Amino acid sequence: MQGDKSSIWSRFRSGMTFNIIGMIVLLLIVFGIIAGAVGLVNFTSAFENEYATTTYHMADTATTLINGSHIADYLEGKRTIEYMQSKSYLEAYCKRIGVSLIYVIIVDTSDYGRFVSVFNHVDNTVGNTNYVEWELGHKRDTTNDEYRAKYKAIYEQQSAYETVYRNNPSDGSLPHITTMVPVKDSEGEVTGILCIQRPMSELVGARRPYVIAVAVATALLAIFVAVFYTFFMRRQFVNPISKVASEATRFARENTKGEPLGKVSRFKEISDLSGSIDTMETDMVNYIETITASAAEKERIGFELSLANTIQVNSIPNVFPAFPERTDFDIYASMTPAKQVGGDFYNFFFVDDDHLAISIGDVSGKGIPAALFMMVTNILVSDRTRMGGTPGEILTFVNHNICEHNKADMFVTLWLGVLELSTGNLIASNAGHEYPVIMQPGGKFEVFKDKHCLAVGAMDGVKYKDYTLKLERGAKLFVYTDGIPEATDHDNRMFGMERMIDTLNKFSGDGPEGVITGIKREAERFANGAEQFDDLTMLCLELK
Amino acid sequence: MTINKQKNENGLLISLEGRLDTTTSPAFEQELKESLEGVELLTLDFEKLDYISSAGLRVLLSAQKTMNKQGEMKIKNVNETILEIFEVTGFNDILTIE
Repeated sequence: MQGDKSSIWSRFRSGMTFNIIGMIVLLLIVFGIIAGAVGLVNFTSAFENEYATTTYHMADTATTLINGSHIADYLEGKRTIEYMQSKSYLEAYCKRIGVSLIYVIIVDTSDYGRFVSVFNHVDNTVGNTNYVEWELGHKRDTTNDEYRAKYKAIYEQQSAYETVYRNNPSDGSLPHITTMVPVKDSEGEVTGILCIQRPMSELVGARRPYVIAVAVATALLAIFVAVFYTFFMRRQFVNPISKVASEATRFARENTKGEPLGKVSRFKEISDLSGSIDTMETDMVNYIETITASAAEKERIGFELSLANTIQVNSIPNVFPAFPERTDFDIYASMTPAKQVGGDFYNFFFVDDDHLAISIGDVSGKGIPAALFMMVTNILVSDRTRMGGTPGEILTFVNHNICEHNKADMFVTLWLGVLELSTGNLIASNAGHEYPVIMQPGGKFEVFKDKHCLAVGAMDGVKYKDYTLKLERGAKLFVYTDGIPEATDHDNRMFGMERMIDTLNKFSGDGPEGVITGIKREAERFANGAEQFDDLTMLCLELK
Repeated sequence: MTINKQKNENGLLISLEGRLDTTTSPAFEQELKESLEGVELLTLDFEKLDYISSAGLRVLLSAQKTMNKQGEMKIKNVNETILEIFEVTGFNDILTIE
């Protein structure tokens, strides 16, 4: 339970509502304190001004009760009756207006450092004081500089009156002010100072309610703002954000489109956010669908390609030994496309019992277009060959047929030969294909630089030429596509014709299968796993 | 492979550098498709071309066919390897090699 409580508390504490409201309430309290303090200072100052003015009027009135021309005489014991009269007036006035002290003094104007008391009336009941009345002629030193400066100002008539404030008196009496006004003789000269000390009990009385009022108002405002804001924030800010957050979490988990959030808050930013989440969900779901569909499409294409590969591989003879009943020759071939389907092909078949047709071709380009082109070419060549004629005639016919519909400017290099098995006479035509390699019995494999014509499909109207040669018993014929000499290793070095011939000679003692597997193995070892960009196709025939 | 084009009044000189094979020839084909309009003399400089595959030959064949209709195409500075490829495939019969 303890853990639950603390986790609820910590969740609450980390929540947006608590933090923002807490911040606002804190600010309000600080604001309240500052406003209260400023108010208090202004209030005090206004009150003091008002108080000083009233006290001045009191003091000014009091001066009319005494004769300023004679106050010096009183000290010398003259005009005693007049003094007593004035004294009784002041005493009555003092009681009447409710001040602590009224007194009249004559200040020594040499340095304002001492004075003599003339009149002095005390009312200790007013300001909770315990002053003792000064006798006529009582002398005192002025130790307080503020008083000295103000006495001087009065004597020199710099101002109508002066005021000394005691907001927090050190003797424990109530806050009070002392107002000083000049006492003048008939000539207008200042002869003394009349002072009134008046307690400011109203100030204290008024100040406390003011402070309480400010504190209560601040607290009420803080509570109101907290409640109102909590409600407002939850509704327009926290709840919408929680809604957006929980929708985002749900979406991350399920990856399905949910109910659109719509306009969740009157704040533009939050509504924009929820709008973005809605858009993102739609886009993501569409994207996921597209990806899924394209993955399925890719799988389908992959399947179709592997099917196409099967069709292509089976469109040419691929079971060896191909003619187990024939002892007068042996033939072996291999085709390895760089991609799933390739543009290379080989073919061999009997035109009649004694004539074996052999073809090998390489279509420009790779992949599906090349594979389609290869299929068409192979079928055209084999069909036309079965109708008879020399390879030259056959290629001329095939070229014309291909050129008629060749919109893609593709072409195929093709070597076609017809071998008379009984004699070893070979009639062949080379349409831009690699030179055949021939090994006569007792000799070595050597490149046979035959006559070359243009690749099939490149240009219409080309007349393909035949050439003849004789294969002796025991001779071997090796035809291939450029994928063999151009097999490349990691450093982009090519296998090369020379290496191919050397390798052929290394396996010259073997039959066609041995020669071809040998070349293939050597070429693969040379490439050392480097990706091959071209199809590897070759065919080897041995006349026995 | 890098393709450099230089155009003058009715002529276009394209210098090829590197290998023109299955990977690079589509870019060359696209380049030609975009720039052959109105060209009467297309000159291809093969000085820095190391190798050409059948895919590259196909692009040359296309260019030759296009230029046959609107002007002339020449190939210059052909190195031995490429010349041999042209000879083997019979392309030297239909291309103008200088």
